Amino acid sequence: MLKLERISKQLGSFLLSEIDLDIPGGEYFVLLGRSGSGKSQLLELIAGLSDPDSGKIWLDGEDITCRKIQERQVGLVFQDYAVFPNMTVASNIAYSLESRGFSRKNIKELVAGISGELNITGILDRTVTNLSGGELQRVALARTLVTSPKLLLLDEPMASIDASLKDDVRNSLRQLNRKGLTIVHVTHDYREAISLATMVGVIHNGRLVQTGSPHEVFSSPVNKFVARYAGIRNFFRADFFSEGGKWKARCNGNMIFSISGSDYPSNGLLIIKSDEIKIHDSVPLYPGENCIRGLVREINPSEFGVEITVDAGENFFIDVTRNEFRMLNIKESSEAWITFDPASPKFLSGS
Amino acid sequence: MVKNSLFSWIAMVLSSLVLLFIVAPLAGMFLHTGAAELLETAEDKEVIRSVWLTLWVSFAATLTFAVGAVPLAWVLARKSFPLKKIVQGIIDLPVVLPHTAAGIAILGFISRDGLLGKAAASAGITLINSPAGIALAMAFVSLPFLINSARDGFAAVPERLEKAALTLGAVRSRVFFTISLPLAWRSIVTGFIMMFARGMSEFGAVVIVAYHPMIAPVLIYERFTSFGLKYARPASVFFIIVALAFFVILRLISMGPKKAEISRDAEA
Repeated sequence: MLKLERISKQLGSFLLSEIDLDIPGGEYFVLLGRSGSGKSQLLELIAGLSDPDSGKIWLDGEDITCRKIQERQVGLVFQDYAVFPNMTVASNIAYSLESRGFSRKNIKELVAGISGELNITGILDRTVTNLSGGELQRVALARTLVTSPKLLLLDEPMASIDASLKDDVRNSLRQLNRKGLTIVHVTHDYREAISLATMVGVIHNGRLVQTGSPHEVFSSPVNKFVARYAGIRNFFRADFFSEGGKWKARCNGNMIFSISGSDYPSNGLLIIKSDEIKIHDSVPLYPGENCIRGLVREINPSEFGVEITVDAGENFFIDVTRNEFRMLNIKESSEAWITFDPASPKFLSGS
Repeated sequence: MVKNSLFSWIAMVLSSLVLLFIVAPLAGMFLHTGAAELLETAEDKEVIRSVWLTLWVSFAATLTFAVGAVPLAWVLARKSFPLKKIVQGIIDLPVVLPHTAAGIAILGFISRDGLLGKAAASAGITLINSPAGIALAMAFVSLPFLINSARDGFAAVPERLEKAALTLGAVRSRVFFTISLPLAWRSIVTGFIMMFARGMSEFGAVVIVAYHPMIAPVLIYERFTSFGLKYARPASVFFIIVALAFFVILRLISMGPKKAEISRDAEA
């Protein structure tokens, strides 16, 4: 469907470098990256708003690298929507049809059809200056979808709408994707990727550092940057050694724990997901291979319950639910024991 | 209510002095001109002819040059090119030139030996001492007002709106006429009014290019040098009243109903 082949683009001092990407038809591809990482520039290259310095862009097997914007059949919805403030909602939706020379009758029918689908029929005669964020987004989507593009590009579509409307927008986008529309959605929020993506890519400093299914990317991040994007906060630089046929990691000089797997290099970076670490207020009855004593440094409310920071030579961040926390007899500065399975620490190959 | 600080009081006193400096001479001139004198001037055919000539020539010059100035303003707002800053400096040049020097430059350009003058003469048109010559002199000194205001207007249109229009299948000219121009319209009209007003009030450049037919500023000068302050004053007051009326009417038209206002969302 969409294939990018070694796309490079110099933008001032910023370089979008050698981007290779292959997105099959019908996928919902979420491109994650911080602001300034090059994700919006990549969308503009695909849409044809700027030309790459080198590389090729293929859409449905056709080379569209040099094709005019107007002929690409790619729809782009901008962050903040870029709805034309000098027109009514209906004129905004009709704009692309008028640009392509549709007849008045056709335009009327298509505008009515798409506005019905996106539930904006009631606001067709209104000017856009007083619309809510959600309404503006639906107008921008309607305006883009009315010409049935092969590919829909979304630039931070959730960034400017209220939290209460995000579920509606997610549902609308999922439905569009289920109908077969291929979507490329750029965002800085990994939760959007988890909730929508069938494919994920992470872009950092103009380079696409990892692509794959959300499970592949978030459970096996290739480096610390991707891991941070996956919400992982437990990073440990460790020396690896084998003892009695089992591999161990030594962190911060003296904290040692077992790790599964084999053939580790002499040192590298390990990650452990916060929800894979258990916390106890006394020595556990069945401590397993990895049981480390530490002091509770901080207890903070988190999105999913409570996040506890335990200093065990290195800081461990542990997520527990509110119910689990109520059962624990711990407070700041009290002793605590943490346990985790040797399979939980993951080695970052790109570290 | 926030109490005014000493600084605010000083700022207000200084501001009042500046405003007084602008208003006092004009008010003095109005107060020294009786209604009878003004009515007599309003019936003076020479005065009416010169005021009408000033208005229509300045308007025509502004309208004609807007055809090229507005696209130039768009280029300056949207395109990067080598020596852009020098081009911008050239556009601002007429503002800093002594206007008599500007008149001499225009005269050289439109006289029979000049580039434009020669071309016009071959078509049987004389530019010196003609409304066309006056229009060129007016446009020369007042064009920067239109170009700069229109450029700021185009620059204030979010570029994403133009990009969005392109992705929606519009060709560049359609984007210009349906998005850029309507959204920059207020700044363009403001620039148009400023250029028109500045051209209308021009004396130095025009008097060198065309003493006759006499535009209002030249007529006022001629009456002053020939008959003195008493005779120049009613013509000045009459011209100011007509010019102000025109200015206010154009301003009201440009303000119009709020149609093409850039929304907060679009600017973000």
